[in-house]
Amino acid sequence: MNIESRKKALRYFFGQVVGPLGFKFTPDAELMDFLLEQEVMLEGKHGIPFCPCQPLRHDRARDMQIVCPCIPFHRKHFDAIKRCWCGLFVHKDVLDPDKLPQLSPKEVGLE
Amino acid sequence: MKKVSMYALSTCPWCRKTKKFFADHKIPFTFIDYDLADEATQRRISQEMDAAGATGFPFVQIDDEVIVGYQPDRYSSALGI
Repeated sequence: MNIESRKKALRYFFGQVVGPLGFKFTPDAELMDFLLEQEVMLEGKHGIPFCPCQPLRHDRARDMQIVCPCIPFHRKHFDAIKRCWCGLFVHKDVLDPDKLPQLSPKEVGLE
Repeated sequence: MKKVSMYALSTCPWCRKTKKFFADHKIPFTFIDYDLADEATQRRISQEMDAAGATGFPFVQIDDEVIVGYQPDRYSSALGI
């Protein structure tokens, strides 16, 4: 597998999915490149591009909820913090993702 | 000195930033990379995270305080630095 071509393919596919959800790729190009590369590696290992920042639980139902882009499964949480957990995607109005703290669901009153 | 430990993922950039934060501040810490651990360890960590309402990494414990996510201001506050 060519890592760069797969990153490019994932980037195209993810863009099609997250745009209608009100999200865009992070403007942090270095972070985006790193995360996409991790996802290509995870896809190579597991067959699925899981989130690089959330745990696989050995439970298929839970694991499928962290397949990137996992925004639909965590919509309230990610809308509250204006980013997805790993930060690959941010709300479309976000210009400086460094100002977005990585808060847990509990910290934003969702648990 | 407060005890600092963390659960992380080798694929997570925020976990790397967290490790760097403690290293830069010369704070001794221990960590386990969840994805590189055996299944029994993963299940134990998973239960701890569920109990704390944590869904992702990094998962940091400073003495009894749990801090989920890369939150350098909270690390500093908990450590008094």
